Amino acid sequence: MTDNRVTVENVRKAFGDNEVLRGVSFEVAQGSATTVIGPSGSGKTTLLRALNALDVPDAGVIQVGDERIDFSKPASKEQLRKYRAQSGMVFQAHNLFPHKTVLQNVTEGPLVVQKRPKDEVEAEAVELLEQVGLAEKRDQYPFQLSGGQQQRVGIARALALKPKVVLFDEPTSALDPELVGEVLSVIRDLAVEGWTLVIVTHEIQFARQVSDQVLFTDHGIILEKGPPAEVIGNPKEERTRQFLERILNPL
Amino acid sequence: MLLASLLLLVACGGSSGENQVKSSGVLRVGTEGVYSPFSYHDANNELVGYDVDVAKAVGEKLGVRVEFVETPWDAMFAALEANRFDVVANEVTINTDRQAKYDLSKPYSVGEGVIVTCADNNSIKSLADLKGKVAAENATSNWSDIARKAGASVEAVEGFTQAIKLLNRGRVDVVVNDSIAVYAYLAETGDKSVKIAGNVGEKSEQGFAARKNSGLLPDLNKALDELRSDGTLAKISQKYLKANASGGPETAPAQQETQSTWQLVLSSLGPLAKAAITKTIPLTVISFVIGIVIALAVALGRLSSKRVLTNIARFYISVIRGTPLLVQLFIVFYALPQLGVKIDPWPAAIIAFSLNVGGYAAEIIRSAIQSIPKGQWEAAETIGLNYVGSLRRIILPQATRVAVPPLSNTLISLLKDTSLASTILVTELLRQSQIIAARTFDFLALYTTAAVYYWVICLVLSFGQSRVERRLERYVAR
Repeated sequence: MTDNRVTVENVRKAFGDNEVLRGVSFEVAQGSATTVIGPSGSGKTTLLRALNALDVPDAGVIQVGDERIDFSKPASKEQLRKYRAQSGMVFQAHNLFPHKTVLQNVTEGPLVVQKRPKDEVEAEAVELLEQVGLAEKRDQYPFQLSGGQQQRVGIARALALKPKVVLFDEPTSALDPELVGEVLSVIRDLAVEGWTLVIVTHEIQFARQVSDQVLFTDHGIILEKGPPAEVIGNPKEERTRQFLERILNPL
Repeated sequence: MLLASLLLLVACGGSSGENQVKSSGVLRVGTEGVYSPFSYHDANNELVGYDVDVAKAVGEKLGVRVEFVETPWDAMFAALEANRFDVVANEVTINTDRQAKYDLSKPYSVGEGVIVTCADNNSIKSLADLKGKVAAENATSNWSDIARKAGASVEAVEGFTQAIKLLNRGRVDVVVNDSIAVYAYLAETGDKSVKIAGNVGEKSEQGFAARKNSGLLPDLNKALDELRSDGTLAKISQKYLKANASGGPETAPAQQETQSTWQLVLSSLGPLAKAAITKTIPLTVISFVIGIVIALAVALGRLSSKRVLTNIARFYISVIRGTPLLVQLFIVFYALPQLGVKIDPWPAAIIAFSLNVGGYAAEIIRSAIQSIPKGQWEAAETIGLNYVGSLRRIILPQATRVAVPPLSNTLISLLKDTSLASTILVTELLRQSQIIAARTFDFLALYTTAAVYYWVICLVLSFGQSRVERRLERYVAR
């Protein structure tokens, strides 16, 4: 085995008659950032959710961190729980817990699930909040924050569990344009720090700057993958070119 | 209709013929407790009255302990059939219909039909004078028939007290009723504004009622014969009716100290508060808490992906919401004993109210849980919480905020619904007010006082609701 943090082999997933993933395979090296781009409906969000078992694939094998599941056989709850614990998830709509303070949102997992001591967990959480620039908001409720701040708390919450991989599901799509930058810069810092990241995004420039690998999904398959200079800078496939053209020059 | 079918239901159970009174050494006596002066609570809250004392005297003769079970008249025979007691001592009139269904003892009180008019009315002396007059009568009573046949037009009233009130106010000319009821009224109230103007020659005899083939009759009749011949019955009658129940009024009703309405209300405040604090409020709180636990389980069953659970939950909600609470209470209290499950009034009330709250609150909790966005479940899942953990730490705290206003409504309704427990012998606020009112016939004042109590408790609950809501709103943008 190499030092891959994620290995995906021939994963399939259908919702009813709709085949969303039709045999997807790729690897993510430790400490690297992979961005997933592609038209809406191409399966990129489902792909990301499969890495966290929020959507359980119908077939194929996925290894995330230390846990490997062959989805052609039914997986037990315990298996899924261990598998899920390998990754942290940042949602498009942040999904912060509105009834908990910023600090409580970040400490919930380590305290309740990992059952680690409170002092240690809180110290770490404050550190994480400092990292995303929100230490002074620790006792506020999510509704008191801006969209960008909420998303940064969402990132801190995902990191608090010390996952092997951090997954981002279009983390800036729900934000006002002027708030996008603060979130992207936090993600870029994580990449620099050496976190292993998988990011579904529409921010092509960001993908070009941050990622080590870009996956272009189309109609449930990965049409093209490689370093950003190739996939974004010099795409081989006609569909990739068309997509990039539409995104970069909407008019 | 409801009672009829319930009666039918319990009657099917039937009862065995052996005499369980002698073997157990206890005579259980069903009586109303709000039917002055036959069965009521005196100023010390002791159950007393003509029928009560006669039953005690009979118990003494038989050498058994007498245990009274207070039961509303409408449920009296259902409770008798359900074996909640052995005999009814509540001025049960002996007639052929009843004789066919029950064992009826020899009479211990004998009355005759009398005509009551205002004291200053000398135009009515006999039945013949009723022609063209207006009489106030209980619609289903035989007195109503007699008055109508004599040519009077009949105003239908709820009971004797109301009839006398109408007479007092000059709204009707005459009331025909049993002499015993009239003596009782005169003895209680000392009312001088009405008088017995004549009689109608119709006798009425009252005795004990027991289940058919109870085997109790020989003992009861022997005891009554002895009590009648040694003068005990007459003595008890003088005590409560100021007259001998088997003859005419030989002495004028003794002057009695009567309380003013205001004094009565004042003296009722303590006992009513006690009933509210020891019965109404605990009944509400306990039933609500148990009900919420049931409701949560049912709501989760309803939301479950397992078809069986969903269907059981649906069925439960449908039954609870589709049947009257009063019927649910009666089924728990009167019908279950037929299946061998005998429940005392207090736990029966708790069970019925808890189940009822469970049905209503389940739908409130279900919709509150469903109102929480799916992303909250997913976020909880991704930080590693399992189903129970997600529910307890993430979903329910948020659902609570949504559910508090409608659940407060349920709680306030429940508080008032506990008054229905009076029908299954729980001496809560309403029944306590009935008991006090029965002493003096002043129902309006006592019911009003009880209403004020309910209202005050509701005000407190509403205040609590707004405090809880404010607390739960702290994490929401305003």
